[in-house]
Amino acid sequence: MKLINKTISLTEIIKMSKNQYGNLVKVVVDIDKKVMVIDGELHADEEALLIQEGSRQSSLWGINLYPDKYGSTDFIEFDSMINLRPSQNNLSRGVDDTNTQEQIRQIVNTLVIK
Amino acid sequence: MTTRWFKLSLMEQMANIGSEVYRAIKWQKKDLTDSKKSFYRALELFNFTLSDPKNRQRLKEVSRAKELFSSWYLGNSPYRQSAEEWERYFFQFNLACRLHT
Repeated sequence: MKLINKTISLTEIIKMSKNQYGNLVKVVVDIDKKVMVIDGELHADEEALLIQEGSRQSSLWGINLYPDKYGSTDFIEFDSMINLRPSQNNLSRGVDDTNTQEQIRQIVNTLVIK
Repeated sequence: MTTRWFKLSLMEQMANIGSEVYRAIKWQKKDLTDSKKSFYRALELFNFTLSDPKNRQRLKEVSRAKELFSSWYLGNSPYRQSAEEWERYFFQFNLACRLHT
């Protein structure tokens, strides 16, 4: 599990994906601090790490990255158990608010470099 | 992974299995290779859940869910099930875990 606050290469993500799930890595993004944790076994572990580092749970969103789909809309999958938050009116495992989706995309596109 | 897995409640375990089920279903239409990877991961997580000592008294639902989902996914289920029903079933576990967040 790694906290990314500068950049991470796609090559490193590909390596992580092969060691874990084979085709994806789990990521939790903090849309306020514009950082992310990558390569946890569960989104819940990544969420816990960010909260320990001072993140607010309401700013955290779970996604999956498919490194072999880099450059396509399928690279980022908005899906995680931790996203289901009735208190924030997010009633699915996805990210229901399109503005939040866009914020996540921008953060990922800034942090992940080819 | 099993050490970490056994620390989760049964509800959290089923919700996490649901994530893989959802991915297996989603990728069935777009990328069968990715779909199968998620399907195999779901089976692995089902097996971890079944081997968790704390679940010993609650195995029936987990093992039935595993069998029925596997046979549905592989296309040889004698029962009428749908992707929506599977997603709805596992979603309840997710909701139960996150109700207080």
